Amino acid sequence: MPLENHSQTDRRRFLKATGAVGAAGLAGLAGCTGGGSNGSGTPTINILTWEEYADLKDEIESNLDVNVQFTKSTSSSKMFSSWQAGQDTQYDIAVPNNNYVPKMMDAGLVDTVPKDVISNYGDVYDTFQGFASNQFTQDGSLYGVPIRFGWYGYSYNSDTVPDHEQSYEALFDPQYTGADLSGKLIMYDDHFKAMSAAALYLGYSDAFEGAKITLSKDQISKVKQTMIDQKDILQGYIAADPTYIKSFKQGNFALGQSGRNEIVELWTEGVDSATMATPKEGSLAWFESAVVSKKSDHKDMAWKVINQFIAPKLGAKLAKAGYSPSCNPKTQQNLTDHENEMYGSIDPSRLQNMIPFKAVENEDAWITAWEDVKSA
Amino acid sequence: MAPDPQSSSGLAADVRVLLRDTRVRLGLTVGPSVIWLALLLLAPLTFVVTVSFLQVNDAYQVVWQHASLANYQALFAGDGPFWTTSFFRSLVLSYKIAATTTIVCLALAFPMAYLLATHSGRVFKIVIFLVLLPFFTMYLVRAYSWYLMFGPHGVINATLLNLGITDSPLALFGYGQGAVVVGLVHAYFPYMLLSLYASLDGVDFTLVEAARDLGAGKIGALKDVVIPLTLPGIISGALFVFVPSLGAFVTPRFLAQGKIQMIGQLIEERINTLYAIDYGSAASMFIVLTIVVLFLLAFRYVSIEDLGGI
Amino acid sequence: MAERTRGQYALYAVAVLTLVFLWAPLLVMIFLSFATNSSTVFPFEGFTLSNYAQTLADTGLLTAVFHSVEIATIAAAIATVLGVLGAFGLARIDFRLKEFYRTFGILPMVVPGVVLGMALLIYFRTIIGVTTGFWTVVATHSLYGLPFVLLPVTARLYSFDRSLEEAARDLGSGTLATFAEVTLPIIGPSVAAGFMFAWIRSFEDFIRVYFVKGTFDVLTTAMYSMIKYGSAPEMNAISSLLVFAIAVLLAVAMVGGDVTGYVAGSEDGE
Repeated sequence: MPLENHSQTDRRRFLKATGAVGAAGLAGLAGCTGGGSNGSGTPTINILTWEEYADLKDEIESNLDVNVQFTKSTSSSKMFSSWQAGQDTQYDIAVPNNNYVPKMMDAGLVDTVPKDVISNYGDVYDTFQGFASNQFTQDGSLYGVPIRFGWYGYSYNSDTVPDHEQSYEALFDPQYTGADLSGKLIMYDDHFKAMSAAALYLGYSDAFEGAKITLSKDQISKVKQTMIDQKDILQGYIAADPTYIKSFKQGNFALGQSGRNEIVELWTEGVDSATMATPKEGSLAWFESAVVSKKSDHKDMAWKVINQFIAPKLGAKLAKAGYSPSCNPKTQQNLTDHENEMYGSIDPSRLQNMIPFKAVENEDAWITAWEDVKSA
Repeated sequence: MAPDPQSSSGLAADVRVLLRDTRVRLGLTVGPSVIWLALLLLAPLTFVVTVSFLQVNDAYQVVWQHASLANYQALFAGDGPFWTTSFFRSLVLSYKIAATTTIVCLALAFPMAYLLATHSGRVFKIVIFLVLLPFFTMYLVRAYSWYLMFGPHGVINATLLNLGITDSPLALFGYGQGAVVVGLVHAYFPYMLLSLYASLDGVDFTLVEAARDLGAGKIGALKDVVIPLTLPGIISGALFVFVPSLGAFVTPRFLAQGKIQMIGQLIEERINTLYAIDYGSAASMFIVLTIVVLFLLAFRYVSIEDLGGI
Repeated sequence: MAERTRGQYALYAVAVLTLVFLWAPLLVMIFLSFATNSSTVFPFEGFTLSNYAQTLADTGLLTAVFHSVEIATIAAAIATVLGVLGAFGLARIDFRLKEFYRTFGILPMVVPGVVLGMALLIYFRTIIGVTTGFWTVVATHSLYGLPFVLLPVTARLYSFDRSLEEAARDLGSGTLATFAEVTLPIIGPSVAAGFMFAWIRSFEDFIRVYFVKGTFDVLTTAMYSMIKYGSAPEMNAISSLLVFAIAVLLAVAMVGGDVTGYVAGSEDGE
């Protein structure tokens, strides 16, 4: 374990003051702040991101003179809160969802994008360049690079659920699809995703128009009440995407909130009965955006690594690993027709009709309402 | 010991003189652990109490001014009266689940503790092995094993369906409060058993027989002889089941499919998604206070040594 | 004992059912760890060892196991040193605030994990400002393990006949020699038991680590994400391996020493 170099006299005084055992512990505690990327020669870039990115390690290290160290994270909020709590010194790169980039900017955690280093940025779909300039550009400087995208709606098992006009109503009215789905419905166990679906079901699409999602107090309490009423017909709240896949295969539910990538993963596993719905109220589109810590010692190299994430070849590999299309259409050259159909050549104009994920205004009120739903 | 050179025996003598001083001996024995407890327990808990009266700014730093009861008010503020707030409901639910768990543990543990106390040799060794093995198995593994058992298509329901005992999954074996209680009983049952066993082990069962011979009847013998003798065991067992159940997080997380919210989950979510340490500190005060009250009550019946049995 | 009454049979029945209750989910899990269809018993599709092969090839998981062992060993060692020293103070020296010390000494195991974890997280992150990681977990677990050493060793020292030490000294033994030849052999088993408990508590702890671990993983946090993210085959296999390992260790410990006595806190069980 790396220990910081306290000077010898300091340490001795310290020992005297607190006793040997206590000091050993504190020195150990202090020691864990150092670490990682020191020394000369090949720099080490530490990356906090989703699991599939680690598949790119070998290619990145052979393309650039760099060591990359991936640490798996399972949510954007954890990436944000750990950086906020000081781990921005430990990591050079994080790849949260787009709605977290403004939060990181506000907290002064992230650096501006040097567009000349991100040579692939020009190839990124105009849609995403537009979203990026809209959501996380300040005084002409960009703060994040779009990497992958996807969207959330709901999906169902076509063996047990009849075709229907696709609407979020299916999640809230058990008879809506024509089959009785009471006790066979699931929602995301996430205040943002679940409450957004309820808000869209209630027709509050205006709230999603601005730079942030703005639900009024009244609207939040309507959303809350709707979700409390919904609880009786729910099988449960699902913790994360892979649980959805397992639970779907077990037949635990018939219809549930989900992202497109889970459904694609189910298709590749031969589960053809999984059907992705595009609710008429609109799907929620997300894209991941890479950011670099202001405190990174190797910012230039970090941006070069990020440039690799959307390079035609590596971006294609990433799309394959996570069943989610890359924001750079040039990745399509490296995918088969079948692959393109699932997670390659998705026309982003489809996203125009979708509602982009955004940061939430008055998140405390959302959380409080969510807790009320959970404890009802 | 080998014969010492002059200097060393001088040193030994010095050490002996030093050790005669109680303060030096105390410093050397309890000193290190006192430092440890002060740095890692007393200080953090003191800060939690302090932070519960303060606010946190947007940079997630504590604002060391304007102490107030605002965090506590926020816990009980909502659209309706305080008993409709999520915090109050979660707290009550947690008490309810912890109390049920404790009672079930007590009911299940008594027969087995009696069995252990009245047997020795082979039966004793085998039973104790069978009890201790799950006890030493990871808490998480045990919660997970019940996660497999419950659920609409979990092992229990799948078995019932396949045996034709039922034709649709039974809600009883689905995820929910019942499953959470089962998971918690499984997790903390051994604490109760071992506490009861420790106190029953000293009981002279001929006394029980004697009481019954004297016409006390079964219930009477239980009430007048067995329960008073085992009271310390019951109390310490109940404490060691109730307290961790109250703060449960993993078990309700997996065995209720997100449909219920205990206080531990509430605190965890606020901390890990918002880093709302002011809210979390105030909320955790209710757990801490409950423990303090329970322990003060318990000390009227049992000594601290009895409590430390486990 | 008197002949068995109906009441006694009822007691036996409850005891046996309780054992079934304790074991059923673990046995089902072990069964599933060998089953091709790893998430539920029906439809049964045959046995396989591939779940184990997959688990033992998962380097991320093995690294997490290594972290857990490392942390448990360091933390239990610190807890043992502090706890044994503290036990001597409690048993041999009269001091003011002794009850206060004793109460604080058992608190780390009494405070619910969510509260202790959160309190230490706030303390480390916000108050002291260290980055959470390996050493914050070690510090947390060394505190958590302390009572598990302090209590059995203190109990042993109380029941220990000090005249033995005096006799050794009268026979001309030095302080150190008396300690090594008389005291240590007597308290040795309780020290070992304390170390073992502290080790196990650290190894199996999830919630405290979850708060103070930062971004690295130990076994329990890796398993938590497995359950949350639904990798049943690996979860069954690693959990079953743990049950097997603990069964062997416990059997050895029970043949070698009085585990029950220490667990139940009754020293006369010997």
